[in-house]
Amino acid sequence: MKRSKLLVALAALALVFAACTDAGGGDDTTTTADAGGEGNGDGAPAGGRLAAVQEAGVIVCGVNETLPGFGVIDDEGNFSGFDVDFCRVVAAGILGDAEAVEFFPLTAEARFPALQSGEIDLMIRNTTWTALRDGQEGATFLHTTFYDGQGMMVPADTGFTELEDLANANICVLSGTTTELNLTAVLDSRGIPFNPIVFEDNTQLRPAYEEGQCEAWTSDASQLAAFKASIEDEGGAEQFIMAEIFSKEPLGPVVADGDSEWAQAVEWTVMATVQAWEFGIDSSNVDGFQSDHPDVQNLLGAGTDEAAGLDLPADFAVQIITQVGNYEEIYNRHIPGIGIALEGTPNDLWTNGGLQYVPPYH
Amino acid sequence: MTAGSPSIASGSLTGWVKRSLFKNWWSGLITIVLLPIVLLAGYRAFLFFFVNGQWDAVTRNLTLFMQGTFPRAQQWRLTAQILAFALAFGMAAGTSRASARDRAQEAGLPFHEETARATLARMWSLVGFIALLLYFATIDETGNPFNPFLLVGSAVVIAIIGFQAKRMPRRIRNLGWLLTAVLLLLGFQVVSGFGADDWIPMGLILGIAAYAVTPTPFAGALPRVVTRLVAAVVVAFTVRFVYSAVDQPGIGWDEWSGLHLTLMVSAISIILAFPVGLLLALGRRSSLPALRIMSTAYIELIRGVPLITLLFMGQFVLQQLLPQGTDLSRVTRAIAAITLFTAAYVAEIVRGGLQALPKGQTEAAQALGLSPAKTTRLIVLPQALRAVIPAMVGQFISLFKDSSLLTIIGITEFLGVREIAHAQADFRGVSIAETLVFVAIGYWAFSFAMSRESQRLERRLRVSR
Amino acid sequence: MTTTKPRREVARPPFWRDIRVLRVVGQVVAVVIVLLLLRWLYNNLVASFDRLGIALNFDFLTSQTRFRIAYYNEFDPSSPVWQMVLVGIKNTFLAGFFGIILASVIGLIVGVSRLSDNWLVARLATIYVEIFRNIPPLVIIIFFGFALFFFGPFPILSESWELSLGGNNLLILNKDRWAVPGILATGGLTVFWMILAVGVVATYIVWRWRTRVFDDTGQPHHRVLWSVGVLLGFFLVGYLATGTPLEMSWPVITEDRRLFQGGFAFNWGFISLTAALGLYTASHIGEIVRGSILAVHGGQSEAANALALSAFQRYRFVVLPQAMRIALPPTINQYLNLVKNTSLGVAVGYAEITALTRTSIGNGRPTFQSIIILMAVYLGFSLVISLILNIVNRRFTLVER
Repeated sequence: MKRSKLLVALAALALVFAACTDAGGGDDTTTTADAGGEGNGDGAPAGGRLAAVQEAGVIVCGVNETLPGFGVIDDEGNFSGFDVDFCRVVAAGILGDAEAVEFFPLTAEARFPALQSGEIDLMIRNTTWTALRDGQEGATFLHTTFYDGQGMMVPADTGFTELEDLANANICVLSGTTTELNLTAVLDSRGIPFNPIVFEDNTQLRPAYEEGQCEAWTSDASQLAAFKASIEDEGGAEQFIMAEIFSKEPLGPVVADGDSEWAQAVEWTVMATVQAWEFGIDSSNVDGFQSDHPDVQNLLGAGTDEAAGLDLPADFAVQIITQVGNYEEIYNRHIPGIGIALEGTPNDLWTNGGLQYVPPYH
Repeated sequence: MTAGSPSIASGSLTGWVKRSLFKNWWSGLITIVLLPIVLLAGYRAFLFFFVNGQWDAVTRNLTLFMQGTFPRAQQWRLTAQILAFALAFGMAAGTSRASARDRAQEAGLPFHEETARATLARMWSLVGFIALLLYFATIDETGNPFNPFLLVGSAVVIAIIGFQAKRMPRRIRNLGWLLTAVLLLLGFQVVSGFGADDWIPMGLILGIAAYAVTPTPFAGALPRVVTRLVAAVVVAFTVRFVYSAVDQPGIGWDEWSGLHLTLMVSAISIILAFPVGLLLALGRRSSLPALRIMSTAYIELIRGVPLITLLFMGQFVLQQLLPQGTDLSRVTRAIAAITLFTAAYVAEIVRGGLQALPKGQTEAAQALGLSPAKTTRLIVLPQALRAVIPAMVGQFISLFKDSSLLTIIGITEFLGVREIAHAQADFRGVSIAETLVFVAIGYWAFSFAMSRESQRLERRLRVSR
Repeated sequence: MTTTKPRREVARPPFWRDIRVLRVVGQVVAVVIVLLLLRWLYNNLVASFDRLGIALNFDFLTSQTRFRIAYYNEFDPSSPVWQMVLVGIKNTFLAGFFGIILASVIGLIVGVSRLSDNWLVARLATIYVEIFRNIPPLVIIIFFGFALFFFGPFPILSESWELSLGGNNLLILNKDRWAVPGILATGGLTVFWMILAVGVVATYIVWRWRTRVFDDTGQPHHRVLWSVGVLLGFFLVGYLATGTPLEMSWPVITEDRRLFQGGFAFNWGFISLTAALGLYTASHIGEIVRGSILAVHGGQSEAANALALSAFQRYRFVVLPQAMRIALPPTINQYLNLVKNTSLGVAVGYAEITALTRTSIGNGRPTFQSIIILMAVYLGFSLVISLILNIVNRRFTLVER
């Protein structure tokens, strides 16, 4: 008798309060692309991220901590790398101090949620700019700092030279990256059957490749170059990176959607490194650099007290070049070490036939 | 006198070999097959550890393995934390030894004081691991090798000082436990910082202590409770004032990594999970069907899924389940997920303890007129919780091992430091096995020591019953 | 004489102190609070999803997967996602199933070995248990991937070790896969399965009959031989009657030493995961078995010795049956843990359900719904295993008089 009373009471209450619908509750779906995805960042601070960063005095920069050449940690606990240096570039430009950065290591799957939630101000983590990500991940991609592409590496003694040779091969690939999708898209469109073996990280993948578990390794060409050099240096078998680069991988800084002031501030600090390179300014000559060209003077902050209305300090470029360096210096600090020189690659200055071209400073 | 094989002289080596290894034909066969394999494996292991192994990846990155990317300039905080914890553990050990001695004396049983050598022998895996770390520290050319020795030495001395708490008279025995809790919290906060908002845990502990200790010369129940509450509130607000005055930010748990993070996450999760698990266990045994069904549903749901799915939920979905603008850091989300996970297992452990309690205890309590709440608080829980301590230690060991899954969601803990080490230019493809073995030894040393401790606790609890 | 029954005066306390009312009200309040909490969480979720522009439905299950699954060439990337989920479930089941078998066998051996008279065997078993029990399963899985396959003795595909008999390969071992002969269906199998089903029923009947004969007359029952014979008979009848629809599929490596065909192949990720989890769980099961053997009353062993049973007979007929009863509930727990630990398969590139879910989330599928499906899958496994083993447990429990 008591139990049924209880059940009736509970049922009545449940009905009453299920009937109270909240505005915005229920199953209304918003139309999105069919693959679903995350949209606009919801962590934008009121008043803009630029103001918030200037007040906090530090930039939280999402990086990769396990990527040779781009983001590594040495045994003292210090971050270094190409992407890491660009975080410092942004800090030097906006806050005047290249060390005012808090590095936030991210895995491939955590990077966009971290950006959307506002946990990080900026992400420079070898992230490829794609249409899908622009649309769905609530991210804004800025100036490409590194033009990369997806390549395929095989041991030289297999004699493979083109993708068609890889029919029915085991191919090592990292999970959660555009690499997986590109591999499937390219090989399937050519009718080449293959067997992808997906790994968490390079520490597991590399021994698998070296010991013959996979016959090929696909990744960004910069990474393949790093590991080729590393494998051959340690006395391993000679490696061969196939000539065909089968996808475009433009890598650059990423910020959350919806804050164009912040995006522009970051973009122009990053682009200042390329512009300085074009003008021939580097860390050794920036102090006394003289020129009559008004663009150079604008860049070096002579004559205006706010850099072209960008909310950046007037001497932002000088700070960047002095404390971190220009694009060429940053590149040469890290990338030749993994086996790719600057000349003749897409990352060269446009005047040398490369793709690094930035809008003018006037 | 039956004819048969002559009696084997006990005490001689050949006798022992015959008895233990070649007792009968198939035992002998197994020995003959296994012995060469064991010797070969031992030889290969010796080669790996002492001759061929390239341990540079470990020795050069030793600090990374221990504390990850913790800012090196703030390392003094970690040192202070280790010393505070050493003192706290010493006091806890001393106080519990004293309680055990008193209980044994009351029961009329003999009490064997365990010598320091016996304790060290029991903890040999931990001692060995620390010795290994010290050895690696001497090999490492970059850091100052003297500091680790100094640290370990001072920690031991301080622990011994804390251990003298066993001499405290019985009346103030609880002071020992209170000081342990305060020291643990201080140790935690010396790293995470004494910010103005961090006063709550310390305020709670000291407030509860004030509530218990305040003398109340009044007669009625209400004035007594009121006095105590007033005292507690006063103490709590004093703590708050002190913290606001100090307001020193520290290094929040987002920036912890390496072995330090592994240990802290396990400890924090089990401490937070304990009250939740206790409530769930009581709920599951409740006579109220609604509570019972809800508790059982939660426990069975959480126990049916792997921890990694809850970690994913925590990392990627938790923020969306909370109102916009709540900013939970990465490590907070991970700890939340692990705590919810552990609470279900703790609930099952506590339930086992509650079930093992003889019904006569509750019946006697009812006969004495104790209310259900008083029965639970004074009779049931103390006995049940004492009985499940070994199982709780076992759960802590599980938690400690499961913290290795944090690597998968991008939080660098002990296992994850390997990835960082192998991205460095010098170690890109080298010493992969050595780092893995080192990590395995590290986990093993702690787990083994803790499981030995839990076995000893189990034995002691059974004897004293 | 009439006596009126005294009217019982039930003094009811005021309702705000009446325990019966309080119980009901308390439960109602508790349930309402929990429901409100869930409702609040759900509203937050919907609001977040609206803000981020994600759909809170399961439509993504019918969209194309767009990636391939390792070692499963039949999977077309244009298949819908729910088929990927099925493949993941199948892979998890295989790893769990073989892992449980391995763990049980090794666990039993280890548990008994720890109590052996042979000093070497007992020490080795102890070392094994103490090492494997105290290391995280993830570390063990990674280690096995390395030790067994990357740096292990097995050759690469083109130089596989082949064990052949009369021109056909019985076993092929290499770094990538291990293959054994398989059975291929060349015709329709429905009739065959029906005949086999009848055969299973017949086997059960024969088993019961022989046991009853033994109970009644004391003649040796030979029930195993009878049952196997009956089953084999039905198998042959079915096989011949349906026109030999089965044939052996021998594993073979093609001429150019590149391709692998036929047979039943286990890939290295599967083998590493199963071996690692099997050995890890076996260490726990070994401890359980040892504890349960010790829990069997010593008098049982002494009585067995007095009856001059050999050690093997003592274990097989006296000790183990009783020990199994004690060991079964904690062992069920270990089996569940093993199935849940298969979620670490991505460390060795094995495409079980967690790995596939993560890949699909990384390729743009909604995170929340995918994880819900993942949790539902594991809950399903846990439920099924618990149910089956609880039935077994109940059969085993001593029926007390």
